[in-house]
Amino acid sequence: MRIKIAVVAGLGVLAWLLPYTLDSYAIHVVNVIIIFALLAVGLGLAMGVAGQVNLAQVAFFGVGAYATAILTTRAGLGFWFAAVLAIVITVVIGLLVGTPALRVQSHYLGIVTLGLALAFTNWVTNSQIAGGAEGISAIPAPELPGIDLSSEYLFYYLELIVFALALAFGLFVVRTGLGRRMRAMRDDSLAAGALGAEVPLLRMTAFLLASVYGGVAGVLYAGLIRFVAPESFGIANMFLLLGMVIIGGRQSLIGCVTGAVALYLVRELLSDHPTYAQIGYGAVVVLVVVFAPTGLAGIPPRLRGLRRSTGEAARLQPFQPYEAGASGSDEVILIVDAVKKQFRGLKALDDVSLSVATGEIRGIVGPNGSGKTTLFNVISGLYKPTAGRVEFGGRDMTNVTPYRLSRAGLSRTFQNLRLFGDLTVRENVLVALDRSRTLDSWQYVLAPWLVRARDRRLRAEADAVLERFGLAEFAGQAPKALPYGIQRRVEIARAVAARPRLLLLDEPAAGLNGEEVRQLGEMVRSIRDSGVTVVLIEHNMGLVMALCERVTVLAGGRVIAEGTPAHVAATPAVIEAYLGDVMEIPTEATR
Amino acid sequence: MQVTLQTIIGGISLGAVYALVALGFSLVYRTMGLVNFAHGNVVTVGAYLASTFYLSTKLPFALAMMVAIAVTGVIGLVIERVLRPLENKDFDLMLIGTIGFGIVLDALIIMIWGATGRAVPSPVAGAPIELFGLRIRTYDLVVLAIAALATVLLVLFLSRTKRGAAMQAVAMDHEAATAVGIHVGRSNAIAFMVGAGLAALAGGLVGPLLYVSPTLGGALGIKGFAAAILGGFGSIPGAVVGGLAIGVLDSFAAGHFQGYSELVTFLVFTAIIMIRPTGVFGERTVNRA
Amino acid sequence: MKLLRGKRAVAAVLAAVLATGGTTGCSAPGAGDKSSDDSGPIKLALADAQSGQLSSLGAWELKGAKLAVSEWNAKGGINGRQITLDVFDTQGDPTIGTNLARKIASEGYLAMIGTAESAVTIAMAPILKQEGIPNITSGQSTGLVAVKSEFLFLNGPTSTTYDETLAKHVVDGQGIKQIAMITNNGSYGKGEHDAFLKALTARGVTPVADQVVTTDQKDFSAALTTIRQKNPKLIFLGAEEVESGLIVKQARDLGITAPFAGAAPQGTPVFLDTAGAKNAEGTIVSSPYLSNDISEASKSFATAYKAAYNEEAELHGAKAYDGTQIVLTALKSSNVASGKDLAEAIRGTKYEGLLGSFAYDETGVGIRATSIGVIRGGKLAAAAG
Repeated sequence: MRIKIAVVAGLGVLAWLLPYTLDSYAIHVVNVIIIFALLAVGLGLAMGVAGQVNLAQVAFFGVGAYATAILTTRAGLGFWFAAVLAIVITVVIGLLVGTPALRVQSHYLGIVTLGLALAFTNWVTNSQIAGGAEGISAIPAPELPGIDLSSEYLFYYLELIVFALALAFGLFVVRTGLGRRMRAMRDDSLAAGALGAEVPLLRMTAFLLASVYGGVAGVLYAGLIRFVAPESFGIANMFLLLGMVIIGGRQSLIGCVTGAVALYLVRELLSDHPTYAQIGYGAVVVLVVVFAPTGLAGIPPRLRGLRRSTGEAARLQPFQPYEAGASGSDEVILIVDAVKKQFRGLKALDDVSLSVATGEIRGIVGPNGSGKTTLFNVISGLYKPTAGRVEFGGRDMTNVTPYRLSRAGLSRTFQNLRLFGDLTVRENVLVALDRSRTLDSWQYVLAPWLVRARDRRLRAEADAVLERFGLAEFAGQAPKALPYGIQRRVEIARAVAARPRLLLLDEPAAGLNGEEVRQLGEMVRSIRDSGVTVVLIEHNMGLVMALCERVTVLAGGRVIAEGTPAHVAATPAVIEAYLGDVMEIPTEATR
Repeated sequence: MQVTLQTIIGGISLGAVYALVALGFSLVYRTMGLVNFAHGNVVTVGAYLASTFYLSTKLPFALAMMVAIAVTGVIGLVIERVLRPLENKDFDLMLIGTIGFGIVLDALIIMIWGATGRAVPSPVAGAPIELFGLRIRTYDLVVLAIAALATVLLVLFLSRTKRGAAMQAVAMDHEAATAVGIHVGRSNAIAFMVGAGLAALAGGLVGPLLYVSPTLGGALGIKGFAAAILGGFGSIPGAVVGGLAIGVLDSFAAGHFQGYSELVTFLVFTAIIMIRPTGVFGERTVNRA
Repeated sequence: MKLLRGKRAVAAVLAAVLATGGTTGCSAPGAGDKSSDDSGPIKLALADAQSGQLSSLGAWELKGAKLAVSEWNAKGGINGRQITLDVFDTQGDPTIGTNLARKIASEGYLAMIGTAESAVTIAMAPILKQEGIPNITSGQSTGLVAVKSEFLFLNGPTSTTYDETLAKHVVDGQGIKQIAMITNNGSYGKGEHDAFLKALTARGVTPVADQVVTTDQKDFSAALTTIRQKNPKLIFLGAEEVESGLIVKQARDLGITAPFAGAAPQGTPVFLDTAGAKNAEGTIVSSPYLSNDISEASKSFATAYKAAYNEEAELHGAKAYDGTQIVLTALKSSNVASGKDLAEAIRGTKYEGLLGSFAYDETGVGIRATSIGVIRGGKLAAAAG
């Protein structure tokens, strides 16, 4: 901690003294680099942290710069007033550009945002008010009493302060709840939604952040260069920005800044040999992507990882049972009523009805392809049923989004494990623990101490959860590096951390050995005893027989039997279904 | 009315070229899950090669095209080898990795052929055909015919040959294909080779229509990618329909909105994608989560 | 251990602070002075796009400027000092342009040749003015004059001159009134559009069609079909070489037979090649440099150019050659002055160049005449009358 403070303070002092060592060319380059670093941080937040492929970052930059230019030269506003308006305008545009993200992702979002960025340059090239292809010159320099900001040396200090604040804010976002939730969404948006992350809102937040950084960078650009033209905001600069973010390491804001500084400096150094510079820069990008996908920022952790591997391995501790809490009641917590689900020609669910009482452990069994997981997906809001309704906690929840269901007290695990791969085990649990609303993110600006306090509290709670599940020693590790059985347990811990009233477990025993299955049974029973209703899909009949109070059997998308384990096992239809399963080897049609 | 029809004709002729570019994008994507942003630069390489053989060594145009396609196909193999680690990786990495490759190709083009570019005379003599006051260039008809032929051959290759069927299998299920003994790596290499060949075909054909310069492929690449997305990424008929649609949309936007055409084209494109995210024919992908 | 490392870090930082602070004292940053060398080679800078979309212009300019410099060096330089010409790549990006302007200033260059792109030049102008570095640009936009920098000079006429001459020829001279316009929305096309429209309006002529295309448009069917329906006697073309060539080619394919008219780009070999010689036949061109064999000077320039680069000389090279010659002449006459003195020397230079007689005024424009040529048999030749 002390070292960190010393390093930051040292860097601050060095940055403060830097201009004394630079000539007028170097300071200009530094000023431009800071602007690109700001842009890279914004792009890093949207792309690296939130996983939104935003190829319009350079257009946000342009909107900020052009808005400042137009408002000062055409409308005669003062620089600072124009700057504030310009940032507001950029944010509005940013949110508009971001709306496609609600419908499409990945390469679709990439080409859409790229197209919109091209549309922006096309607009400024034509528009009279934006000065057409020749741009707008003679933008007034920003004024501060007693400081001549037309001097690039003094402008540097303005940029430095803005940049330091922006970077600190970005790091604060990434390291607390909002950033964690965005990273979770990036790694697995389905799982994040099922844990209560408001995915649409978070995607818009990503574009909001990107556009704020773009707008601020644009304002600084207008104040520094005092001239705007369409070429500065073209596709080549977008690719340059992308290169900076990827080479630096998109998941780390410090990495993005490093990438921006490094790439710009190298380009500046090689500016006398543009063609070779181009080959070099392209080759470096390819090499980084192929051999070091986490970029420059990923190198120190890798080295540390090499060193750490010699240390003592973390060990799994036994699960500490809950103290028995509320016992079962006759209240019904979940009702599935005549649900149908059709995929093109295939009837995955056909008129399925069941009801689960509070405090019950319900098993759902059936041959492969009988619609079990589809049923879970309908209950947890991932699928919309073709017909029928789902009632949860006494309310109709048929077409409610997963994150609303999660907030209403429903939690689930997934058949093929959906842990957030690039988050640590502790962070995986934290995402579930954090029940704050994304809309409350205004606190980040107006009351950051509240955010900090909440995060500290959550961390303590997370450690308690990990302690209970015997995972404390894995808290800082990445889940993908862990053995399968431990990953399963992390996923259950995460689902329970969301404090559900109803917990859906999709094949929790798959891939576990005998001892692990026994521990699992213990865990599930204890979770139920603490007052959580449990529904589980399972193929391990031993576990189902031992654990479940009631069992529902699905076959071909229909309920063919329901009752106590012993009763169900004796039902002829069930035996037939299972024999048939052995005979014809079913296909996996659901996910 | 005459303006409208003539605009459609103009749009279709470039649309055929976009369709060929889109085919290359889609073929590579459906087979190996790679969005190759260097595809546009491969188009430029193809255009330069075709024009070089045609102009400098005085080969007949058709022969020059064949040689260019073959050479570009080999270049495609090299690119596939380098980019192999990116296959089925996350999109950001693919995006920037292939863009990086494109930047290298661009620089190499400038080093080999210079920055200024060259004009390629039309290989087809013959005046435009006049029909009800509409004019159709003979060369446009040639381009359309070749594009159609290439599409038909591609479909036949994928459906009728053993190797094509193997590639179809890889496209549908990577793991299952491996399990039944299909050599996935070879399928990928062939997809990339054919994709690069299609790029060379597009570049070679567009040379006499436009002007061969290092920036030729950039615009074609973006429009071709948009076309592939519009038709349904990975779908062969989708690429053709998407290409023609983007061509016509572009021409109409140019006619009605003049300088603002690009703005309108991309706004319309965004609107369509928002309404129907998987394109006209729906996405065909390698591995869906 | 931890504490020790912390202390060491603090000590290192302090040392660094003392080192940087100690050398510069407590003055405001940036108060250091620039050194300009009085011996050694005379340093000229050429800033142009050497990569990216507009690199072809940059390549031509470089060839022209280099030729001028090597001629002077062959004759022994200026005052016994050799001249060096260093190339800076703007990539056509104004932001990079401003970086380069600072770099050129800090590295002690006396004058700058370029750029070929008005937007980049306008971005660089305030810095070059502040640093006192004369700049001879190849841009022709009226926006360059509006910058009002006494350090900015044009190496050719502005769009106004080109298009006024053209309008005079076709409207006043040939009596053509039915004129259509097709221009692009780039800085060049926009300038042409405005200048020619103004020249027409002054003569009471309204164009029958006024179509605007984008700089990277490829298909012009819509615009050209609209023009065809208006049946113009002449089509004014305001776009760069390649796009102009494509427009003419597509127009002929669409059955438009009216001749085209335009400024300098329509007289270049690139335009002719792209359009095809047959299609370009009859195009009327307003240019200060009609061809390589218009005068003795241009003939020897073209010969030297061919010898040096093994390709035909063209307008952009000629303009850059003239601009560089003017700077070198001014350097000689002023005894290698710099800053304001050099700018004044350029303003005072009377120079007979490939483009005509240069004499600069306070606007930075040195030449105000173009000639009219017509493409006949695949060659640009002076128009009769």
